[in-house]
Amino acid sequence: MMPLWWPLVLACLLFSLGVYGVLARRNAVQVLMAIELMLNAVNLNLVAFDAYLRDVVHSGQVLTLFVIVIAAAEIGLGLAIVLLVFRTHAGIDIDEMTELADRDDVEAVKEAGARV
Amino acid sequence: MSAAIVVVLAQAIAMVACLAIGHRSEPAVRVVAAGGAAVSWVAALAAAGPHVGDALASDGSYATVVTGAIPIEVALRVDALSAVMLVLATSVALAVQIYSVAYLHDDPRYPSYASIVSLFTAAMTLVVVADDLFVLLVGWEAMGICSYFLISHHWELPEARAGAVKAFLLTRMGDVGFLFGIFTLGSAAGSYRISDIEAGVASGDLHGHIVTVGALLLLCGVVGKSAQFPLHTWLPDAMPGPTPISALIHAATMVAAGVFLVARLYAVFSASQAAMTVLAIIASVTMLGAALFALAQDDLKRVLAWSTVSQLGYMFGGLAVGGYTAGIMHLLTHGAFKALLFLAAGVLAHGVGSTSLAAMGGLRRQLPVTFVTMTIGFAALAGVVPMAGFFTKDAILGAALDAAEHGGPSGTGSAWLVLVCGLLTVVVTAAYSFRAWLLVFFGKGPAGVQEGSWLMRGPLVVLAVLTAEGGVVVLAPGLLGETPRPGLVHAPIAILTTLLVLLSCALTYGEWWHLESGDPAVSLGRLRRPLAREFAVDEAYDIAFVRPVESAAALTVDTDRDVVAPYVFGSGAAAMLLGRLVRLSQTGRVQTYLTVVVLGVAAIAASAGVMAS
Repeated sequence: MMPLWWPLVLACLLFSLGVYGVLARRNAVQVLMAIELMLNAVNLNLVAFDAYLRDVVHSGQVLTLFVIVIAAAEIGLGLAIVLLVFRTHAGIDIDEMTELADRDDVEAVKEAGARV
Repeated sequence: MSAAIVVVLAQAIAMVACLAIGHRSEPAVRVVAAGGAAVSWVAALAAAGPHVGDALASDGSYATVVTGAIPIEVALRVDALSAVMLVLATSVALAVQIYSVAYLHDDPRYPSYASIVSLFTAAMTLVVVADDLFVLLVGWEAMGICSYFLISHHWELPEARAGAVKAFLLTRMGDVGFLFGIFTLGSAAGSYRISDIEAGVASGDLHGHIVTVGALLLLCGVVGKSAQFPLHTWLPDAMPGPTPISALIHAATMVAAGVFLVARLYAVFSASQAAMTVLAIIASVTMLGAALFALAQDDLKRVLAWSTVSQLGYMFGGLAVGGYTAGIMHLLTHGAFKALLFLAAGVLAHGVGSTSLAAMGGLRRQLPVTFVTMTIGFAALAGVVPMAGFFTKDAILGAALDAAEHGGPSGTGSAWLVLVCGLLTVVVTAAYSFRAWLLVFFGKGPAGVQEGSWLMRGPLVVLAVLTAEGGVVVLAPGLLGETPRPGLVHAPIAILTTLLVLLSCALTYGEWWHLESGDPAVSLGRLRRPLAREFAVDEAYDIAFVRPVESAAALTVDTDRDVVAPYVFGSGAAAMLLGRLVRLSQTGRVQTYLTVVVLGVAAIAASAGVMAS
């Protein structure tokens, strides 16, 4: 049996890769992929601890299945949003999407309101 | 007792109904307003019947309002005083409502007018039957606001608005004292019920300074409400209101409420010689001063207004010298003849289109009914035998003479003052009544003046009969449940006043004839201007109170703008600046936000690790 720290180190690397992707990539699809990496790092942890603790009911593996289902739903939703963003903004560069910013420009705010 | 509730409620219901019907059906408003007044009148007769001439009172409390300290009781009381006042108030209100149907026939504001008149009467009757000072205060203040609305009935006229505001503010000034008087007496007696306070005074539990202070504070409200010196200037300025309203305010409500209150709390007032002396002095100054002002006025309604102020002075003088029955009797007869005079003045105003004395003259042939009834009214005002006003004025002066000789509740000195001022006022009253009568009905004047409709003449005739025959009340001195000590008829005073009236009328007539139907007031010469300006009391108030308040207001505005505002704007600007700095962090980039979140989580995890180890 392999020692516990192997999968933990792997999960840690995967999670860091995910965080880096979410924070640094400019392409929205790549950001979504990075989120997937983070989720799967967690899944790896769950499976590893499940095996290590010899859980009789395998709650770690069950939880992993749940996470996979939720991740599938989330990626569906996320891709739909990315698609809409692509249509309205003619691009999926996250740096271009700054509507959340606090602006002096009252007209722009009203315009955004009217668009909604 | 239950009849007394009906008196108040009938008017209150009529008020609500008139407002609810509004302009949808003005004939219905007329029926409801006059019908409410009629129901109230009948109920007042039923309530008054058992109590006239009976010293016993029936009272009852309907609810207790727990206040945490002394409870307020919704208590009513009907005794001999309430009985006669109920009849007076509802009778005049009925006459006014009937008269108003014709007088305000084409007035677009008739529904609200009729409604407020009903509320006015309801408030007055509530004052009359209240046995708790706070219940009384409710009616007292409701009358104040009703008078405000009614005086400003023609609110497009600036003088109507000014008169309404003036009436409201001056009476309100007095009411501040009134409220504190209620607190003083109520806390001293441990109850706000009038019967408890009276019992406290009678048993000697309430005595000394507390009674004097309470009575003097209440007197502030009375002076304001009844337009006595020094708060007398509002009543003549209330004249731009419709004439029936003047009749209502001057005869049966509002100003009568002040006299009624002194009579209602007579036990309290007469327990304090200081309060009675002050009352006597105020009454003397007012009765003579107001009569002199009336002599120099050019407007019929203003003459009548000053005559009301002067006659109220008589009533207070009578009460102050211990002539309780005489004072109330004069209130009753004055109610009849002053309502008559104002309603007749309304017919004149309707016919001539103005209330200026200069616009009138020679109207005796064109307005025969008004001529006869108004002659009776003026005769009663002047105190001509055998009109009602003669007997009651005689009773007051007789009481003053008795108090001057044998001592009364206000002391002999002030009783002499009341007597002398009263006799002088008899002369002046006869002069101004006769002058107004001559100027209106004799000499040259407009042609083609129409007599009012029967709805207007009817109340005039009824009131004229009451005025002419009302003097018989002196034959029943026990009307109020107590027999006055010197009686009500005083032969020497009666002969003296009759001679004074004759002399005064002869002088006035002489001047009028001498001036070939001119205004006898011209003969006042240099005195005329200051009298017509009413001794510049208003101007003095303007300098003493209005202008300081205005400059204080201007100072406040400047201070606010130059001293307070910079701090307010400064703090606002500082907050804006700070906000602008904070806004720099709001880039709108989600990844920036997430970076902060991740760093924050890392920091928390690191510090948790440090603390755990």
